[in-house]
Amino acid sequence: MSALLRLPWNADPALLLLLAGLAGPYFWLAGGRWQARGGAYFAGLALFALAELSPLHYLGTHELFSAHMVGHIVVLLLSGPLLVLGLPPHLAPTPARLLGGFSGWLRGRTWLAWAAGVGIMWLLHVPAVFDAALASAHAGFSPLPALHAGAMLAAGALFSWPLFGPVPGYHLHPLTGVIYLVTACVGCSLLGLLITFAPADTYQHYARAAWCGTPSLAPDYAANPWHLSLADDQQVAGLLMWVPGCFIYLSGCLFLLARYFGAPDVVSASAQTGHLTEPVR
Amino acid sequence: MAAHPVLVPEPQEALPDLDINSSQGLLQWISSVDHKQIGLMYLWMSMLFMFVGGVEILLIRVQLAVPNNTFLGPEVYNQLFTMHGTTMIFFVAMPAIFGFATYLVPLMIGANDMAFPQLNALSLWLTFFGGLLLYFSFLAGGAPDAGWFNYAPLNQYNYSFQPGIDYYCAGLLLAGIGTVSAACNFVVTILRYRVPGMGLKQMPVFVWMILINAFLIIASFPALNAALAMLLLDRQLHAHFFDTQAGGSAVLWQHLFWLFGHPEVYILILPSFGILSEVFAVFSRKPVFGYAFIVGSGITIGILAFGVWIHHMLAVGLGNVVNGFFSASSMLIGIPTGIKIFNWLATMHGGSLRFSTAMKFAVAFLVEFTIGGLSGIAFAIVPIDLQLTDTYFVVAHIHYVFIGGTLFGLLAGLFYWFPKMSGRLLNERLSNWFFWLFVIGFNATFLVQHVLGTLGMPRRVYTYPDLPGWGTLNMISSIGGFLMGAATLLLLYIIIKGIRSGHAAPADPWDAYTLEWSTPTSPPTLQNFDRVVPVRSARPFRDLKRPNDADWLKPGKKQGYHAREQAVD
Repeated sequence: MSALLRLPWNADPALLLLLAGLAGPYFWLAGGRWQARGGAYFAGLALFALAELSPLHYLGTHELFSAHMVGHIVVLLLSGPLLVLGLPPHLAPTPARLLGGFSGWLRGRTWLAWAAGVGIMWLLHVPAVFDAALASAHAGFSPLPALHAGAMLAAGALFSWPLFGPVPGYHLHPLTGVIYLVTACVGCSLLGLLITFAPADTYQHYARAAWCGTPSLAPDYAANPWHLSLADDQQVAGLLMWVPGCFIYLSGCLFLLARYFGAPDVVSASAQTGHLTEPVR
Repeated sequence: MAAHPVLVPEPQEALPDLDINSSQGLLQWISSVDHKQIGLMYLWMSMLFMFVGGVEILLIRVQLAVPNNTFLGPEVYNQLFTMHGTTMIFFVAMPAIFGFATYLVPLMIGANDMAFPQLNALSLWLTFFGGLLLYFSFLAGGAPDAGWFNYAPLNQYNYSFQPGIDYYCAGLLLAGIGTVSAACNFVVTILRYRVPGMGLKQMPVFVWMILINAFLIIASFPALNAALAMLLLDRQLHAHFFDTQAGGSAVLWQHLFWLFGHPEVYILILPSFGILSEVFAVFSRKPVFGYAFIVGSGITIGILAFGVWIHHMLAVGLGNVVNGFFSASSMLIGIPTGIKIFNWLATMHGGSLRFSTAMKFAVAFLVEFTIGGLSGIAFAIVPIDLQLTDTYFVVAHIHYVFIGGTLFGLLAGLFYWFPKMSGRLLNERLSNWFFWLFVIGFNATFLVQHVLGTLGMPRRVYTYPDLPGWGTLNMISSIGGFLMGAATLLLLYIIIKGIRSGHAAPADPWDAYTLEWSTPTSPPTLQNFDRVVPVRSARPFRDLKRPNDADWLKPGKKQGYHAREQAVD
């Protein structure tokens, strides 16, 4: 643990700008005052900051695939949805018009939101893309990490928009939402499964990190505080996406079910009158 | 709920001599597309295979009754336990579930038939002939002998060159296609043919569980069907999917099988959960406690089903990391299941209980299924699994889940709905005998197997040495097995006697709550409904019978979610 605490924080200016650029507009959206569920919005931002600026980020970038995966899961499945969930219930007029328009536009394109949430996980874990994205980690300054994190955050927000977006009228039916989440969970589980059972050097970045750019000479453990072997590390990463990742989707399902069963029911006209009704067939 | 109801011509009255009570011989049955007749045929099919599977296991229990027995040779023994497991799961439990579902779902939602009546018949006959094909293997040179989960490489040609496993593949493929088509039928029926007024939240819990089940089947059976097709290619055309020497993967079979197999465990238990929710409510004279939680935990179980299958493979050697994750996730299953157990207890709490045979089986379920559930949680702990896997402890666990869970639920359903299905009442005294004989036999058979497993007796080995205690425990187990066999014969007698000469059943003998009991006759006429009672709560028939005490009139009463609803209104 002490080894973890000695790891550096990551004060990437691009990321700090992104954080500020997300915190400020809350008050523009909310019409300058604090509103209900604002806590969720800022909790989302705080998680994002922790995932991207804390030693976890260093660990994930330089040493452990599994730490990197924790960052992905936090940003995509927790921060993004929390930002959407925390949007002010009473939007200021201009943002209300803009976000309402966006919600309406997205309503007919739910597949797009689903594809964004699942697709970004798959895209970023194509080994070549993954290694390229992290190659810049050793460079002095690069906009790539902020872009990487921002894209995850945006995808997470977009993914949860049809479920928790600011206009309740445009929400998916809660049970449709359950199917939306379960299918996404399956999509992520399949990727997690692939990573878990893929050969240990599928992601060259960590092999290089372990042995100074000569993967063929890499020992079976990487240079990380816990001396986890490359194979175990990759398995943990895959399993994190597969199992706990799935449970986050499941928690979303439970949230939707609670919303569904808690909502007042619409009793149909024929039932209201209490008359006998004909069967559908 | 369809905006434009699809009208299929349905005779207004039964054709001459085509009444469900009269007989036109087999032709009337095998050509039927009526959901009630198909449901009954599913149930009879299940009964038939239960006797076959039962005889198989009794032969095995004779062999195991004493140490070093030579009653059965190892080859025959392997075939018998394989056929027993395969039969009981695919051709007893599944058809029984589909029998109840096919018979009851349209009645419970106020529909006159399933969405696709002909597909319904096709599903039945595919399943039935799949079973016959599986059994034809005995005549074709030897039954499958690699266990019901048929692991590679034992399922490969080199290790099992009789055609048994080919018949296993073909038979289960047929049955599997029948199962998937039936599941599609249920989804469409439940989503599109509910009587106007019945929202999803007014559906009986049983219908909810069948809906969840249908989705589980559609998601999981393709994995099995694909694996079976691959295995058939391996065996017939020398493909190398599971042949390790040619670069295939034996573990791939396990993954595919358990990707199906674990959801299958829930496919077998969820309908029983649904049946029990109906039985507990009716025989406690109370609405089921926490409707939303029962349904919600059912959905949760359905989703979790796909995230835990590796726990069947903890001893395979996938590594500590993998085992650790799935050990943790498997324990979570205990939560939604525990919620249901407490829901049923709370349903009984303060109710005016009537211990009919159905209710007795429901209460016995609570005890037995909890034992099976707890040994399941024990198996989620990796070191325990490593120690006990492939011993009789596993055998005890699966039987406490499948018999104490699934079968007790199905038997509760049988005793509950038999009057509606047959128009006859069962003999209560004999039913009571059956209950106690079956429960005592069941516990005698399987409780001691926990001990045998902990002592290290391996499953699937045709005999055992005369180690201290093993002979005695196995003898107890065999005696218990024969008690269960006797009980099953008694059940058959009770049913046949009931159908032949039981007292005529009134339309609503239990003072029940749901729409199937609102049909004016037992059994219902060929056309289920002309008019359906209005649905304003999850207990529409009770609302009709007690208009001044209807659920929807009393927002303050403890009645699950709809209390809150009315308060909001």
